Amino acid sequence: MIRPSSARPGAFAAAIGLLLVCVLPGTVRGGDVAAGKDAFRSECSECHSISKGRNKKGPSLFGIVGRPAGSLPDYHYTDALRTAHWTWTEDKLRSYLSQRAKTANPGTRMKFDGINDPQELDDLISFLKTVR
Amino acid sequence: MLPFPTCSNFPGRSTLAMWCGGLALLLLACAPAQATPAFARQTGSVCADCHATAYGGGANGPNLTPYGMRFKLSGYTDSNGSGPPIPVAAQLIATHTVPARGEVTSRLTEADIYLAGRLTDHIGAFVKVAADNTGGGNYKVRLAHVDLRFVAPGLQLAGRDLTLGVSVNNSPGFQDPVSALPGASTLGPPGVTGTLLNLSSPNAPANRVIGATLYGVYDSDWYGEIGTYSALSVAAQDSLGYRASGDPGKLGDTGYFRFAWMKDLKRHFFSAGVVALTTSRQRPRGVPADDITDLGYDLTYQYLGTREHIVQLSYVNVYERRDYGNRPLGPAGQLAQAHGAARDQILSASYTWRQTYGITFSHLDSNGTPDAVRFVPYAEPHTTSNLLSLYWVPFGKEGSIARYGNLKLAATWFRFSRFNGTSSNIFGAPPGAPMASADDLDAFSVSISVAF
Repeated sequence: MIRPSSARPGAFAAAIGLLLVCVLPGTVRGGDVAAGKDAFRSECSECHSISKGRNKKGPSLFGIVGRPAGSLPDYHYTDALRTAHWTWTEDKLRSYLSQRAKTANPGTRMKFDGINDPQELDDLISFLKTVR
Repeated sequence: MLPFPTCSNFPGRSTLAMWCGGLALLLLACAPAQATPAFARQTGSVCADCHATAYGGGANGPNLTPYGMRFKLSGYTDSNGSGPPIPVAAQLIATHTVPARGEVTSRLTEADIYLAGRLTDHIGAFVKVAADNTGGGNYKVRLAHVDLRFVAPGLQLAGRDLTLGVSVNNSPGFQDPVSALPGASTLGPPGVTGTLLNLSSPNAPANRVIGATLYGVYDSDWYGEIGTYSALSVAAQDSLGYRASGDPGKLGDTGYFRFAWMKDLKRHFFSAGVVALTTSRQRPRGVPADDITDLGYDLTYQYLGTREHIVQLSYVNVYERRDYGNRPLGPAGQLAQAHGAARDQILSASYTWRQTYGITFSHLDSNGTPDAVRFVPYAEPHTTSNLLSLYWVPFGKEGSIARYGNLKLAATWFRFSRFNGTSSNIFGAPPGAPMASADDLDAFSVSISVAF
């Protein structure tokens, strides 16, 4: 089937958009909160709760976006994270969660292989932003 | 506890009473429930993190999720770092049992105390002491499960994670992370014979031995384990709550081997493994020993998804080779076989919705080499049975009212389609005498379990 030529500008714009998403790490991406909740349940919920003040094997993720790393007073962090001196911004979360935890923060006890799917990562971060 | 047939109304011969008593013990050995809120208190997790059904499975054991398997492999030492909780939990089970033949009973069937959890950074335990209702308001206390672990986590080999541990336990297979082997699922095919690895086999080693195994987990996916066991003396078994009639005999040169591949893909889990148990067994003690070797394999699959719908499938096949040291004479003067074999198979499927409502179906098959002396009256030991269980677990999940207590309601059917190789006149009653068929051993039960 021959497409009408009017479709080409749209396709071109989509390709440019995709390129920007791929090469610019700080690009704001759209995540699906509902899909992110599913991702949380599959990838995170065994070790992390989203309830305020409730720590499991890992610390509570209530209010995680924008929180300084290693800052919950009632959770016993590793030295690796307590001295990391970073804040869990969206970009930091995206970087951290896209690789093995032991690579992102050597010395951590977190066992996590990373999320390879950028869309799933965006969905997850979108969900975490709502947990506050 | 699974329902078990009450055979007191089978009339006549003393052999019937022996069969019935033995069968009751076989099915008692299938007692489920690994609910240990002590683990939840220690880790801050909910029961549903480690178990597909938020109480620790239906009628066939713990139904561990991959996360639960890792917790077990960690030696039960993982915690949320909030300080040492008291590693103690308790469980009460009340059961209304309706056997196809026999007395309908409604009673508190079991009361359990658990020592379960982290003792130090590297040592943890799962110890269960059970008080079983033996009728008439009497309870018999027994040491049900022992799994003491030392674990050395955080090792590296060729750049990959390595965990090494030692388990001291009282039941070969109970310590296995994949809840498929009979020892780990606490569900084995009942019958008149069976493999050593089947805790429902007559005179099975389960709970009556003590052993130590060294295990390792490499790169999260590969599991290996090697160890040995020794049978407790009859006096020691008695002091731990086990009658001499179930003595597994004296075991020598006993070796346990396990190797498994486990793949956790978060939404899916696969495992495939092999297992072996070999021993030289004197039973009764003092007679020439039987050389027995079990060789088995198991396959499992779990669909976990977002935990909304969970499907768990497993298949276990254990073959046992026997070189008998003792060849008793039959009533017609014939000698029993010098060699034989047994095979146990378990096929299980479970579905759980929202980790709250579940259904489990298991097909259990126990078979062996025909032997006119050892397997009276038909020389055939073949037994086939099915278990179907429905259950409801309202607590033990994120957002549950009761975080550190739990409840399970279960309805369970246990059905026999073949016993002693036949479905009718299973005990070989002579013409004119009352006969029992395989489905006379069927039973239905409703149980309520509470853990705290």
